[in-house]
Amino acid sequence: MPVQGIRTVTAARNGVGAFILQCKRLDFHYCDWAGSSRGMVSFLKNSLASFAKANPQIEIRVSPRPHKHPVIKGHYINGREKAVCVRNLEPEQIVQKANLLKEASGEKNKRTKKPVTSINDSVRGIWSPFHGDTKTV
Amino acid sequence: MFSRTALARAFALPFEQSARPLTTRFGVCLRQASTTTTSQSHPEQPTEPLSATPRAQTSAPSQQPPTSTPSSTPQIPASKLPVAPAFTSPVEVTKSLLENLPYLTGQKPHYITAHLHDKPYLLTEGDHLRLPFLMPNVKPGDVLRFNRASLLGSREFTLKGTPYVDERLYECRLRVMGVDSEPLRVKEKTKRRRRHVQRVTSKHRYTLLRVMDIKIKTAEELLQEGAVVVEDGKGVSEVEVKA
Repeated sequence: MPVQGIRTVTAARNGVGAFILQCKRLDFHYCDWAGSSRGMVSFLKNSLASFAKANPQIEIRVSPRPHKHPVIKGHYINGREKAVCVRNLEPEQIVQKANLLKEASGEKNKRTKKPVTSINDSVRGIWSPFHGDTKTV
Repeated sequence: MFSRTALARAFALPFEQSARPLTTRFGVCLRQASTTTTSQSHPEQPTEPLSATPRAQTSAPSQQPPTSTPSSTPQIPASKLPVAPAFTSPVEVTKSLLENLPYLTGQKPHYITAHLHDKPYLLTEGDHLRLPFLMPNVKPGDVLRFNRASLLGSREFTLKGTPYVDERLYECRLRVMGVDSEPLRVKEKTKRRRRHVQRVTSKHRYTLLRVMDIKIKTAEELLQEGAVVVEDGKGVSEVEVKA
């Protein structure tokens, strides 16, 4: 008998019941020497603690990245990651960038024309010419 | 649930339509003359006109940390409770609506045509909605209740509003999932006889929502909440059978 996988009964839809923030991890990279990291170092010293405290569901990692520009990387539960270069930015601007990564869905930026995407079947069914009233010409 | 400003913006539609006569807004609830008399004759009507069960956590965009798990915060702070709607009269349902409502409520799944800023969105449970704008003062995890719908329906039955269904007949909740962005748009602008191209860039952000539930209240629930049964008349929401 061949091995059979377990069929999924329902598709997971985050937010319908429980809600998990899409961003699971933020990596902050800085350089101690370079001037473009000045704002980043100030952010790490002063406001990162409050940011981390306000977002307990996000894992935060801080690591040096010598001789490179400072970067914030967001890791998302869909497996993707988003990186933002924050060179020469002020600490307030870096807070904005961190919030942007926090709220992002992790999907690739796309232009969509339809606001609603649904995986449900059509509620009212598909129109059929063989049902309903007989049409007279 | 949402801050008061967000609520006012999201549900700013009633004020935009003040030019219309008041009676056409909610065909069901705003029939003042008969309502006031009937409400006096019912002393046991509940004090809360809209008895919607408050659910999940709420958040104001202030310093309070966002809580992603609703179960961890069973107590909702008073400052975060949803704004109580100021209904002056209990909801009115006609006899025919009361007769036909069980057919609609018993037939799942349901769809709703919810209006936000006068734009209709046809939603079913679990749908993903990307609003064409960035909703201010909301955070991921917030729950919004859409209270403006023109259609509520199932496979064979539809409750039509005139033009909108009274918000006390249903509950439609959406969860704020986050903020999405679009790729950078570049528009090239040129002038005649000038070898110069101006490139204008823009990048918009959009709020992502997920439909949590669409619940049409049953006739028993409506009567329990103090709905007043009136005779059939014009301008009242009716359940229609699919042709």
